[in-house]
Amino acid sequence: MLRSNVALTIIVSLLPLASLIFLGMEALGTDWGALFTDETWRDSLFITLYVVGISTFLSLVIGTWLARVVVQKRWRFTSAILRIPMFVPHIAAAYLFWLLFSGGGIGWVEANERNYMTVILTYIWKETPFVFLMMLGTYEQLNRGYVEMAKTLQLSRFDQFKHAEFPFLIKPLLDSTWILIAFVSFAYEIPALLGVTYPKLLGVLAYERLSTGLYLEATEPYAVALIWTCLVGMGVLVSYILTSSIRRRIERGVRR
Amino acid sequence: MIRQILIICLMLIPFFSLFLRIPTVETESVTAMANTVGLTVILSGVNVWLSMTFAWWLLWTESRWRNALEWLVFLPLFIPMLATLFGLYLILAESGLIGTYVGVMISLLVVTLPYSIRLASNGMAVIGRPLLEQARLLPFKRRILFVLFPLFSRTMRTIALFTTVILLSQFALIQLIGAGLIPTVTTELYQSYAGNNRNLALSNTWMLILIPVLIYFLLSVMSRWTVRILKGRLQ
Repeated sequence: MLRSNVALTIIVSLLPLASLIFLGMEALGTDWGALFTDETWRDSLFITLYVVGISTFLSLVIGTWLARVVVQKRWRFTSAILRIPMFVPHIAAAYLFWLLFSGGGIGWVEANERNYMTVILTYIWKETPFVFLMMLGTYEQLNRGYVEMAKTLQLSRFDQFKHAEFPFLIKPLLDSTWILIAFVSFAYEIPALLGVTYPKLLGVLAYERLSTGLYLEATEPYAVALIWTCLVGMGVLVSYILTSSIRRRIERGVRR
Repeated sequence: MIRQILIICLMLIPFFSLFLRIPTVETESVTAMANTVGLTVILSGVNVWLSMTFAWWLLWTESRWRNALEWLVFLPLFIPMLATLFGLYLILAESGLIGTYVGVMISLLVVTLPYSIRLASNGMAVIGRPLLEQARLLPFKRRILFVLFPLFSRTMRTIALFTTVILLSQFALIQLIGAGLIPTVTTELYQSYAGNNRNLALSNTWMLILIPVLIYFLLSVMSRWTVRILKGRLQ
């Protein structure tokens, strides 16, 4: 029973990899020259990088800071409240922000505008609790002795964080960063509801080109999905290789 | 204290928009509701079963493939969801599963399983091998009923909740793989979001938020009740 379940899980986990092979095969007929010079895709790439960069960076910073403060100050109630947005479906979160910012908006932020501020805010609201939970476990298990030693050595606050906390956060931070990038960069529901007709985020443009009757024969969406997955995959690989020695050293230290 | 209140307010502010308008109570499609409930129940059950057994295997295996398989099951987390979806669309089209419940089920399972395994293996790592070692001596059914279920009922509840939230978030996946033939609450609601009827869209948002909350409380009550019965039996 156990073995058949494990085998089934492995087969299901192999499907995303198999899907990449199918993407590659389907993308073979793509006119790559036309794809790279297509202004619509290029603008879409830039706006996607901008949205992903800001929302991922801010979610990571805010989530880590919140985990640190909640553990240090023992804010149990706040910790419970911080988890709530995780249990709101993305599409509902998008609509909540649309309602909040539509019809005049709040200050300079307005729904469906070219700067994608509402999309970024929605992603920060949804993804900060995820980062918070990833970091919370690490902060709860963090050996306070390192921080105390950094204080005894009269290091500045930034240096205390850099030497006594940051090395232990590298692994969960890396995991969270790439999960968020993979998730935010090629999604449909939130940017479709809160975005604008031009430039669209990559996920929205690719999905619409794939599902609209006008483009049903086009292989471009498959090619874009494949390129983007390869870029994310390379990023994951490089970042994990670059940090492997320090992560291994930390893990050995923690085990000791 | 002020900082704490400020953080709580910032997290709760988006919910205020739920009260800005009066939601319209309109009867939604019964098929969509039945599909959503059916998919949620089956998908949560399969996720809990597969993730818990895989996490259990990961905890005890001495296989030299352990690390590679652990990477393999977590790898889909780093693949953009829509890219997986496009590839799955091609695979399922080859197998003639587009527009079928099986096709939608498989794609939803592919999307949710990595998260469930992560939650399950984290939960088992917290309890640790020494405490679970004794449970291995028990027969399979007794082990699950009297040890694993009471110990991991909270993890199972979280897995079911996560699965529900991910399922309710999926419009593109269900629309593409289901070929528009399998309506769920989300695909129906998306039409109202895209339209101009704000009150209807608001009532739909209420529903999307309330479904996970109801499931959470339902599962909490059920697990408490079952654990209490099991404890009674043991006494």
